[in-house]
Order: sequence, then C-alpha cells, then structure tokens
Amino acid sequence: MLRRRALVVIAFWGGVCFAIWVAHRPWIVHAQPNATGQIAVFSPQSTYSIPVQQVGSQSYVGLIDLLEPVGPVEANASGKKLKLRFNFAGNKPQEVEFQEGKDSAKLSSGKLKLAGNFVLQNGRGYVPLASVGDLLARLGIQPVEYHPASQRLLIGNVAARFTAELKRGNPSRLLLGFPAPVNPTIDTEPGKVRLTFKRDPVVGPAGAVKYDDPLITGSTFSERNGVTELEITGTAPLMANFADGGRTIILTAAPGPPPTQAVQQLPLNVPQPPTAALPPPVPQAPPRPRFLVLIDPAHGGTDIGAAITPQLPEKDVVLALARRLQHELQAKGIAVALLRTGDYSIGLDQRAISINAARPALYIALHAANTGKGVHVFTALLPQENTAPAGFLPWDTAQAAYADLSGTVAGSISAELENRKLPNTALPAPLRPVNNVAAPAVAVEIAPPGADVSEIAGVAYQTAVAQSIAAGVAAVRGKLPEVNP
Amino acid sequence: MTRRIVLMLGALLLIAAGLGFYAWRLHKKVAAEEQRLTEQQQQVTAPANGPTANVTLYLASDETAALSRKSVSIPLPTERSEQARVVLRTLLGTYAQAGSRHPIGAGADVRDVYLLNDGSAVVDTNTAFADAHPSGVLAEELTITSIVATLNANDPKITRVKIIVNGAERDTLAGHADLRRFYFANSIGQLAKELQ
Repeated sequence: MLRRRALVVIAFWGGVCFAIWVAHRPWIVHAQPNATGQIAVFSPQSTYSIPVQQVGSQSYVGLIDLLEPVGPVEANASGKKLKLRFNFAGNKPQEVEFQEGKDSAKLSSGKLKLAGNFVLQNGRGYVPLASVGDLLARLGIQPVEYHPASQRLLIGNVAARFTAELKRGNPSRLLLGFPAPVNPTIDTEPGKVRLTFKRDPVVGPAGAVKYDDPLITGSTFSERNGVTELEITGTAPLMANFADGGRTIILTAAPGPPPTQAVQQLPLNVPQPPTAALPPPVPQAPPRPRFLVLIDPAHGGTDIGAAITPQLPEKDVVLALARRLQHELQAKGIAVALLRTGDYSIGLDQRAISINAARPALYIALHAANTGKGVHVFTALLPQENTAPAGFLPWDTAQAAYADLSGTVAGSISAELENRKLPNTALPAPLRPVNNVAAPAVAVEIAPPGADVSEIAGVAYQTAVAQSIAAGVAAVRGKLPEVNP
Repeated sequence: MTRRIVLMLGALLLIAAGLGFYAWRLHKKVAAEEQRLTEQQQQVTAPANGPTANVTLYLASDETAALSRKSVSIPLPTERSEQARVVLRTLLGTYAQAGSRHPIGAGADVRDVYLLNDGSAVVDTNTAFADAHPSGVLAEELTITSIVATLNANDPKITRVKIIVNGAERDTLAGHADLRRFYFANSIGQLAKELQ
C-alpha cells in the first residue's frame, strides 16, 4: 500500500514537472553551440581558421565557415532543414540536405552518417568535426587529414611532408627538405634548435629519431597547441640556415665566439702575426616594396553588424564577399590579406592599428545592409579638426593625406560597377576605421540588388560585385604606390 | 495499471493543457502590450505651442540615397534650443510615419538640444534613436546628414553638431557612422548638395 502511494506521489510530481515543461516549451532556450577554439584549415585555395563549437561533448564546425573559402556555396534554411549547394573546383555542383536533430545527411549519392546530430542555429548549420572528412570526401574533396593535436585540417594535397638527411662531415649537417617553401619561427638554446611551424601544413612522423653523429644527436617531431614543432638536438650550439628558396633548412654547428680573450693575453713586446683581413660585411637587401590589398570584412563575433534577415547577419555576408574578392584579386596577380578570417570580434581601434601595421597599398572595408539598393562605395568623410602636434600623424584624420588616391580607387570601382550594370553610389562617409588608415582606403557596402533581400548572399550577385571591385583596383594599380613591408 | 493511476494521469494531462493555454495567452498579452507601447512611442510630434513658422527639413531616401528639401509649417517656440529640438522632432516624426522613405527606429526622439556660443549644437537623443536605428553605412549617414543639414538650414548660427545618446557619448549610431566627432555644417552641407 505504502509503495503504491509512493508511486502515485512520484507520478504526480513528475507530471507537474512535465506540465511546466510543456507550458514553457516555446521559451526554453535550446542548447547553443559554444565557441571553444579554432582550427586552422589549409586548402589549395587558401589558408584560414574556423571556430570550433562545443555541442554537448562533441566538437562542431560551421558548414559555411568550412566550405566558403574552398568553393562557391549556397545554403538555404527552411524550418528544420538546411539545403546546401556546393561547387568544388568546377566540378558538378553537389547538393546536400541536413535536418536538425538528425545524424545523417542526404546527398545525390546516398545517405551520409554523421558522428552526431546536425545542429541548425540561426540559419547556420553545424556538423560534427569528426564527420568533416567523410562529408568533404562525398563533396569531391580528397584527401582530408585532421590533426587534432595541432588543431589543423588539411584539405586536398597540401600536406608538406618533409625529409631529413644527415650529411656527415666536419661539421655534420642535417638537411630538412620540404615540398614547398616554409617559414617557421626558430628558437635556439645551447645544443638545441626548435623550428615551430604555425602557417605551414608541415606533416611528419611523430616521435624521436636518433643519429649516430658526434654533432647532431637526434630530432623530435611533435604536434601540440595548434602548431607543429621539430626539435633538433646536438652536442654543440646549432644554427639553422635556409636554402633553395625556403624549401631546405640546413642545421649545422653554430660558429664559435671570436677569440678576443686570447689576443688580450699576448705579451705586448711579442710581434703579432698578421691578422687575416675580415671579409667585408654582406649588405642586407633592403625590403622590397610590395602591392598588398588588405580586405576587412567588417564586424565579427558578438558584433553581428546589420541583421540582413533574422538568420543572415552582416558579418557573414561580408566574410563571404571578402573571400570572393580575395579570389578575384589573386586571379589578377594582386597580393591579398584578410583582416578577419573567421567569426571573432575586433574593435575599431584595434582594426586601425592592425591595418596600419600591415602597411597595405590599399585598404578595402566591406559592409552589407538591407536598406537601399545596389552597391555603395565610400571614401572617408574626414573631421575638420587636426589637433595632432607637428610631426605626428593625427589619428582621426590619418586618411587625409591619402584622400585623393582613395577617391581615384572609389571612382574606378564605381566605373566597373557601372560597366556591369550594378546600381551604385559613391560618397564620402563618416566611417571608422577608414579615417584612421594611413593608406589609400575605401569602404564598399552591398545592399540587395532588388526586392529580395536574401539575394545579397547569392553567389551570382556577390561574384559580380567582387569582380567589379577587383577590376576597379586592377585598373588603378599603377597609380597606387607600392609600400615597404 | 489501476483506475486511480489512469485518473491521475488524465488529471495531469489536463493540468499540462491548462498551463500551456495559460502560457499562450500570457505570450499574446505581452506581445500586444509591446505593440501598444511601440505605437505610443512612434507618435513623436512637435508640441503645438508658439506661433506657426515655416521650417526646412532635409529628408532622406534610402532607395535613391538622396536628400530632398521640404518646407513645413509648424508651431515654434521662441527659445533657440527649443526651436532646434522641435524642428528635429518634426524631422524624426516624418521618418516615423508609415511609408517613410527613410524609416528609423520606433520611438526615436530628441531629448534636448544644447547650443553653445561657439556655434556648436549637442543633440541629445533617446536610446531608441540609436538602438533601434537600421544598421548600415548609408542609412546611418543619411540620418546624420539630414539632422545636421536641417539644423543649419533653420539656424545658420549652428555650425557644428555632435549627437549623443541618452546624455552620453557613443562610438557609432548603429554600428557604422561615427558619433564620437562633431559634424561641421559646411562639409555636411557640401555632402547634402551631392545627395540632392
């Protein structure tokens, strides 16, 4: 009897909890992906980083973040479904359909089992990191290597597998060969040289190798904390030299200190041997001026910019446009860097500092809005005050010296937009950080081309805008001075 | 399963349905109240006291990225800063009307206009003016340009304008246009001409 009463009480309170849950169902906040870090993605098209989100115990990545830099991608969310159309390297476009809460995706070639449920949040789709390899393979991208220890994803044949060859002699030399030029940071300590690869997709067999040599005794390759490291140990101080345009790194004994003490200890009346003439100092090559275009996809992270639609924030639209513009400019042989490559916040002052430190030949800020029509090209509307002491570049009017060149670029971009029959307006605007940029600078804001606001993220429209900007820049490249890095 | 448990489960289902209905009603009520407050805030009009006078408004259009001059007749107070406030409230009231070609945030209003002897005007707007303003370089620029040009057109002694929000400085209007600086009537006037 007592047991039955206990059951009834449990059932009652369980029911009350259920009722409260049902009543508040629409207001329950769903578990959201939490950003936990970033992974570096190396692909033949570009190198970029994407945020990793934690959903439950699994790591997830955003589909658009992952695919957009690799090839044109369109995503349409409708209810709990997300349809994705992806075109890799001119192959036949692939279509994939995901459904929120389901652990499979539909492709024309059949179903793909995911390592966890698909997550749809604010119109953005997330897939388990563990399924990225399978998904990319089904989309025609192979091979895919994920290195969890160094948080690197290698898409396509980009892995730089190195070779190590010990050349015995006096002194011995260790030759490290790479398939492409590499640029590691080099740290030396007595008897040790550490090469840290942050930007190169260097891959090697993990673990230690021992050498039977009086100078170079071993090397250890490891992946950790988002980087790969190669540590070479020796019995004497070692040094690293680059050769073959950065494809070869030679490790050998570092030269010893000059024997100054011995010279001082010589008796004064002893005739000194003639000293060998020192070789003339090798003049260092001055840095070569270069033409770098710095693209700034505005906003990012918690600063979403304008809500183009409830599911489409400005920060995503401009990042996609930035990548398209990067492709178009690179296709014209112009060096490009992106100020923001993922979904993270950068303050306006920090943006200005980073831009000026990069010393670009041209700065292009990208914005998007759902008001107005077509493309708006802006130059800086500068404040009239100049309160900086003589000899200093005033922070708020740093752009003033470059206003004419900026106007030339804006005019050229407008002309190219006009050639492609894209509605456009060119104006000065009170927009930071353009005012603070000590280089020719323009801002481009895209608005929908017509009544359908979602067209702003369409591949055709964005490509046309990117091509116009790139053509506009290329047309006036000769008028813009190259800058020393 | 005993009859008593079946009855208990039935009662629980009824409670669940009742709570669900109550929550739905509550949600509708809150939405209706929010709508009422928004509509109330949208009715920003100039106070009807003082002699009637013609004032010039520079009205923006998002579609054409242009400003147009419009003359309207409104009651104006005699004090300069009050006049400036009434003119700006008329401007924002026009933008708040249905079918506006440059819609701004619901409830946007001007709290005060402070005039200084050096020709400066500090326009103190309410929070809704900035928080609910459509975000975009052009949209924000058009609002600022129309405010500065309208102030200068009706009081040429105003030569530079700073916009603050709820008594405090703010970095940008809605993520783009710089609000940390003064806007000079002559450079904005030049821009306004380009936009016409």
